[in-house]
Amino acid sequence: MSSDITTQPSAVARQAVERLRDAGLYGPGDAVLSVRDLNVRFNSENGVVHAVRSVDFDLMAGKTLGIVGESGSGKSVTSMAIMGLLPETADISGSVRFKGQELLGLGDKAMCKHRGSDIAMVFQDPLSSLTPVYTVGHQIIEALTVHNPGMSSRAKEARAVELLAMVGIPSPQARLKSFPHEFSGGMRQRVMIAIAIANDPRVLIADEPTTALDVTIQAQVLEVLHAAQEETGAAVVMITHDLGVVAGMADDIMVMYAGKPVETGTVEDIYYRPRMPYTLGLLGAVPRVDTSQKSSLVPIEGTPPNLIKPVTGCTFADRCPLVTDECRTAEPALLPVVDGVTAGGGAHRAACIKSGALVDVDAHRIFHAPPVPVSKFDGVPRDERATVLELKDVKKHFPLLKGSLFKRRIGTVKAVDGLSFDIREGECLSIVGESGCGKTTTLLEIMEFHPDQVGEVVIGGVSNKAATDGKTKQAMRKEMQMVFQDPTGALDPRFTVYEVLAEPLENLGYPKDAIRKRIMELMKLVGLQPDHVNRFPNQFSGGQRQRIGIARALAVNPKLVVLDEPVSALDVSVQAGVINLLDQLRAELGLSYLMVAHDLSVVRHISNRVAVMYLGRIVEMGDVDQVFDNPRHPYTRALLSAIPVPDPELERTRERIILQGDLPSPLDAPQGCNFATRCPVFAALPQAKKDKCLTLEPPLVSEEAQQFACFFPDGEIDADMLVVHA
Amino acid sequence: MTNLIDTVAEVDEARAADVVIGKGRIIFRRFMRNKTAVTGLAIFLGLFAFSLFGGFLTTWDKETIDPLNIGMGPSPEHLLGTSQAGIDLLALVVEGTRVSIFIGLIVGGLSVLISAVYGCSMAFFGGKVDSVMLFILEALIMMPAILVVAVATSGGGQSLKELPSWLLLIAVLLFFSWMGTARLVRSLAMSLMQRDYVKAAKYMGVPSMRIVRRHLVPNIGSLLVLDFTRGITGAILAEVAFSYIGIGIKLPDVSLGVLIGGATWQVSSFPWMFWVPLTVMFLLTGSLAMMNDGLRDAFDPTSTSIGRAKTKKKSK
Repeated sequence: MSSDITTQPSAVARQAVERLRDAGLYGPGDAVLSVRDLNVRFNSENGVVHAVRSVDFDLMAGKTLGIVGESGSGKSVTSMAIMGLLPETADISGSVRFKGQELLGLGDKAMCKHRGSDIAMVFQDPLSSLTPVYTVGHQIIEALTVHNPGMSSRAKEARAVELLAMVGIPSPQARLKSFPHEFSGGMRQRVMIAIAIANDPRVLIADEPTTALDVTIQAQVLEVLHAAQEETGAAVVMITHDLGVVAGMADDIMVMYAGKPVETGTVEDIYYRPRMPYTLGLLGAVPRVDTSQKSSLVPIEGTPPNLIKPVTGCTFADRCPLVTDECRTAEPALLPVVDGVTAGGGAHRAACIKSGALVDVDAHRIFHAPPVPVSKFDGVPRDERATVLELKDVKKHFPLLKGSLFKRRIGTVKAVDGLSFDIREGECLSIVGESGCGKTTTLLEIMEFHPDQVGEVVIGGVSNKAATDGKTKQAMRKEMQMVFQDPTGALDPRFTVYEVLAEPLENLGYPKDAIRKRIMELMKLVGLQPDHVNRFPNQFSGGQRQRIGIARALAVNPKLVVLDEPVSALDVSVQAGVINLLDQLRAELGLSYLMVAHDLSVVRHISNRVAVMYLGRIVEMGDVDQVFDNPRHPYTRALLSAIPVPDPELERTRERIILQGDLPSPLDAPQGCNFATRCPVFAALPQAKKDKCLTLEPPLVSEEAQQFACFFPDGEIDADMLVVHA
Repeated sequence: MTNLIDTVAEVDEARAADVVIGKGRIIFRRFMRNKTAVTGLAIFLGLFAFSLFGGFLTTWDKETIDPLNIGMGPSPEHLLGTSQAGIDLLALVVEGTRVSIFIGLIVGGLSVLISAVYGCSMAFFGGKVDSVMLFILEALIMMPAILVVAVATSGGGQSLKELPSWLLLIAVLLFFSWMGTARLVRSLAMSLMQRDYVKAAKYMGVPSMRIVRRHLVPNIGSLLVLDFTRGITGAILAEVAFSYIGIGIKLPDVSLGVLIGGATWQVSSFPWMFWVPLTVMFLLTGSLAMMNDGLRDAFDPTSTSIGRAKTKKKSK
């Protein structure tokens, strides 16, 4: 990091910065990219939004900087400002220098020389960042042509093949001719990375490159990014909201809040010695997948400040449990941490007046994390509890038809293929797996509760086979309610909160007074202010909307709540509050949950039991600690090892299983074990044993409190699929 | 990204009283906040009152000829002058406005109703019903409306001739006005059926018809209201256009279109005959357009008029 002067907000210091800038003297000489006092303002209907406020950083060649923050913290705007991709209406001031050359203020044409050759970017959504009408090869070659007009077309094609091979796309020569829709999401993101590194950029900006991907694919893509960095020696700016993703990759971290860096330092500084309450809270808000952590998560109450209003004090003051009057007088500067523990050098900086006093504090204590709620069912053995939901050999097959006039059945998609499990009172069962494994279909089949369903669904003693009339169905609806993934889409935008919550009650014919009373109760139950009932959903934040969704599900006092990715659309700090709420409600009301989630850390935190699904079948099921600590099925092992852990040391040294390829389409599901095509154990087996996997379908066998479907649960893992970063 | 920022402003100001405000009132308040829309509404109501009670402004009616004042300009006796036949123009305009508004309201209202029912049914039933209904709809769009109007109002059988010309025009206009909206409603309803909140209601056990009524129709509702006001404008303009070329309303029935049509070729000699009905028509369609804008704001939950409301309450 640069000299101390730059971070002083006083007028004198500003002048000093300007002087140094004019002399070209600031910043270490070997920084490829140095950003000084970057400010971005947008004009909006309501006033000027100060989206990025005095961001400073230096990026050294070959190093990785992680920018971490919640949505709206200005991390993406910072990257767009560096790339010069912000709309002309944005007011950008400060300085962005690439190898000492000023980039801000360059015209679009001049900027184009840098974009894609010196500085390249990988975007978040691989589905929309490739043009669907051109082949992948065309798009890679386009990137090459723009910056190397003299290159021969044969050389360009050779380079494109080389690039595709570098990012791990099988048979690259043939794949050049493929269109983006022929690739899966993970493959497209690889192509994006190939395009980004096509011209050997010095700086690679990755804006949430893995957020839209499954965990196993995320692990692959992170691996590719890592390889790409090693190959090109580029400096990487990694923008993410996931503290786990950057832990293993980044060298330095910058935590942003309300448009401003609030803490910067090396990974170790940030993860092991955070000195800003916000960072402390963020780290405590993330559940861990690697340890059985039976304490509540750290909730950060409130919402980030509105950046239209001028900042008077510390931006985090309203949400900070340690706030004092002093915090509100002036915005604290980003100063080197002096606490006697941090190694000197001034690289670790925090914008908190109390940073020196935050040595060895417990985030759970300062953020008043609620105690772990105890349910009345906790002491009762599982066998003695009543069954709330039971599935017996449930199947959902979709016929695949071909032909326009006469439809021929050419195959069957087995979305759900023989699922059996049960949920007891007061317990949470989570179904995990990659997208496309059939977990959502399972939920929908249960919710539909159709008598024609193949297999039997029993809810609260009522079987779907008996649910031929409306009354039985209505009775079942009272037992089971659902919380949706997207809190915005699940609430009718034209309903006030009152109407949203009244709907299920009205449906059951509650009198008006009772509805009113119940709604006030519900608002308190989920931690919302009762006087908010007259508002429309769009007047709430994402976390509050999800609370409304939960309140609606609880309105009729169901025994079982089905949760479809209940927190995946929420920010980390908000997510913790919702998870705590779900935990507390389960204990207080004796609820059972059936949850579908892709975030295994959340699953480990909230559930008692877990079922791992692969291609429509359960491959492993059991108590959550048992399965997570001692996974038997190779798929579970791979899935668990793909989750990044927010602990840099552990993340750098642990072994990871990187699965090859994507989830095969359920259409061409193999004959024997479904997983054989990607199985790391299978790959290492001798040929004689391989035949068994390829011909026989492994049944679900029980061992203690765990069931799994694998012939070789303790097999060696193929060395090619194991990766250790050193 | 933005939702966090948006809500912050409102969280501070959320110290409202603990009363349940009806949604109708919220929409009404939002509409009343839009000055242009309120002006539009006032003009429209004024014209409506004028068409009903304007007759009391003059002692003449639209059938009595004043032989002493033929083709005279505005005077104390005839406030807006007289036609070349010596009929009081004010009486004619009052009658014409009433007929135009009448046609507009009936055609606008009924066509919205037809398109809502037709469109929602297509989306709700889907499959074969949808394709057959869609085919009929497309066929109707292809039909040349102007020819049918001409045949129905001038040719036609004896039985058609006995009907008053305005009734005939209403029927024909209605027949050709609902297809576009119906198609719009269909696509909108189809996308709404896929929303999570519709699913949520389904899983709560809410009956299908109730879901359509509570979730589909209100979410299409703002479109329907907007289409109602737009439909009125459209019908009035269509009536004026048809009457102008002589195939719409026929004398002795009077409408704004008939008055404008009859006066165009003598603008220089009888300017009041032309400008008065034309102004009334502009006021009518203009006020509806102004209202339309305000209604959109009032119905749209994401409109900025929420913000304005908060600042107003604060200043009180």
